[in-house]
Amino acid sequence: MARSPHSASPARWAAVILPPLCLGGFLAWSAGLLTPASISPSHFMQRFHNAGAPNTGFRRAHAKGMCVTGWFDPSPEGRALSHAGVFKGEHLPVIGRFSLAPPLPYLPDNPNIARSLALQIRTPSGDDWRMALVDMPLQSMRDIADAYAFFKAARLDPVTHKPDPEAVKAYAAQRPWLNTAFEQAKAHQQPSDLTNDTYNSLDSFILTNDAGKKTAVRWAVQAKEPFRPAEGSGANDGNYLFKRLVQTLDERPLSWDIVATIAREGDPVNDPSQPWNDADQKVTVGTVTFTKAYSEDENPCGPMVFDPTILPEGISVSQDPLLALRASVYMKSYATRSAEHKTPSMVTPNDVANPTLTSDEKGQ
Amino acid sequence: MSLPQNTGKAAPFPRLSIMLHWIMAALILVMLFVGLFMAHISSIHYAGLFTLHRTVGFLLLLLVVIRLINRFTNRTPPLPADLPSPMKLAAHLSHILLYGFMFALPLVGWAMLSAGGYPITLWGGCHIPPLMGFHPHLWGALRCLHSLLAYGLILLILAHIGAALLHGVIRRDGVMGSMLGR
Repeated sequence: MARSPHSASPARWAAVILPPLCLGGFLAWSAGLLTPASISPSHFMQRFHNAGAPNTGFRRAHAKGMCVTGWFDPSPEGRALSHAGVFKGEHLPVIGRFSLAPPLPYLPDNPNIARSLALQIRTPSGDDWRMALVDMPLQSMRDIADAYAFFKAARLDPVTHKPDPEAVKAYAAQRPWLNTAFEQAKAHQQPSDLTNDTYNSLDSFILTNDAGKKTAVRWAVQAKEPFRPAEGSGANDGNYLFKRLVQTLDERPLSWDIVATIAREGDPVNDPSQPWNDADQKVTVGTVTFTKAYSEDENPCGPMVFDPTILPEGISVSQDPLLALRASVYMKSYATRSAEHKTPSMVTPNDVANPTLTSDEKGQ
Repeated sequence: MSLPQNTGKAAPFPRLSIMLHWIMAALILVMLFVGLFMAHISSIHYAGLFTLHRTVGFLLLLLVVIRLINRFTNRTPPLPADLPSPMKLAAHLSHILLYGFMFALPLVGWAMLSAGGYPITLWGGCHIPPLMGFHPHLWGALRCLHSLLAYGLILLILAHIGAALLHGVIRRDGVMGSMLGR
C-alpha cells in the first residue's frame, strides 16, 4: 500500500527535492550562469554592438560586402597535400564575398580600412570548403581572452563615434606578444583595390593526404593583378572599391591563387598572431576565378555564414583557439541576424548594374 | 482511502524498455551539458563538442524512434490504482511531453543546420543529408526553437526525476522500482 505523503520525514522530502535541484544547478553551471566572468558568444555580440554593429540583419563583423561567383581549379600540388574532394575536381563552383572588416554596414570605402574575402568552394558530392580571410599579415589577437579585450577596445565613444585611441593603445601595450603583429600591420602596404589585394587565413589548418601524412598550413588567396599603392587612387564615391571591382569583372574575369604556406618545425601553428619562417615552402593548390558580381541583397552569399571551420574531409582545424571562437561567434551572429529585419546593403543591385563612380563625397 | 489490492510491488518494465530508458537518459544528459556549454561559453573545444553534439543527437533520434515503436508494441506497467487522478493525468501528460521533446529536439537540430546551410558531418566524417534546402530565415527561427525545446526538456527531466523520487521515497508504491528492474 502506498504511504501517505503526510507521514514522510523531512529527510525523505529532501531526498526527493535535492537531486533534481542539484542537477538543475549543474546544468546552470555548464551554461555559465554561476560563473559570471566566463566569456560567451552573447558577450561578443554585445561588444560588436558597442563597436557600432547595428541590429538590422547584418553580420556583426565584416558587415559591408558584395557577392561574386566563379569557379575553382585545383592544382596537382594540392592533391599531393590533401585528399579533399575539392582538389580532385575541376571547375568547381565558388561563391565569394568581398567585404570591409569593421562591423559597420554603411561604412564609406576608404583606403585605410582592412578588407576581407570569404569563399565557399563545393564539390558535386557535397564537400564544402569555407574560408574567411583578411588582408592583414597577422592576427592582432592570439586567443579568446585577447579577442574579447580587442573588441572591448573597439567600442565607439558615444560622443566622437570613434574608438577611444587610449583604449586601443592600452590593448597593444598590455600585450607585448602582439608587438610583431602590430609592427607588420603598420608596415603593411595597402593596395589600391579589392582586385589586387591578397587575403590571408591567419589561422592554420591541417591537411591530410592519401598516405595519411599531415601538413599544417596557412592560406593566402594571392592577387594576380599587379600591385598599386592605395595612395592617390582618388575617388570620392563611398562604394568606389566595390564599384571598381564590378567594373573590372564587367570587362574580364579576375583570378587569385590559393597558396598554402607549409609549416616547418618551430612555426607557431596554433598562434595566428606570430609569423612563420620566411623561408617556408609555398605551394599553389589552385586558382579561384570570379566572373560576376552581385549585391549581397540578391545572392545567397549575403545571408550565408562563412565559418572557416566548415571543411571537407582532408582539411581540418588546427588547435588555434581563434578558429573555435570564430565557429561559435559566427553561429551566434548568423542566428541573430537571420531573425532580424534587414535593411538594404550599401552596395545595392543598382550599384552593381551601373558601377559608374559618382562623387557622393563619401569616399576617401 | 487507498485501494486494498495495491501491493507496492508494481510489475517491472520489460528489459528493452529499461535499457532504452537508461541509455537515452545518459546520452540526453551529455547532450544537454554539451549543448548548454557550447551555446554559452566560448572555449577552444567548440569544434570537437559540436561534432559530438551532432553525432549523439543523430543517435538519439534513431533511439527515440526505436523507443516509440517499443512503447506501442510492449506493455507498460499500469500506474498504482490508488494514485490520485490529478497525479495520473500529470504522469501521462509529462510522458507524452517527454517523448515529444526527445523526438523534436534532434529533428529541429537536423532541420536547423540544414536550413542554415551547415554540412551535417558526424564523428568519423560520415555525412547525413540535409532535411531541407538553404533557408536563412527559417534557420534563425529553428535555432531559437532548438534552445527553447532544450530548456523545456530540462524542466521536464527535473520534474520527471522529482516525480520518480516521490514515488520511490515518499509513496514507496513501486513505480520507481519498475524502471530500476526491481
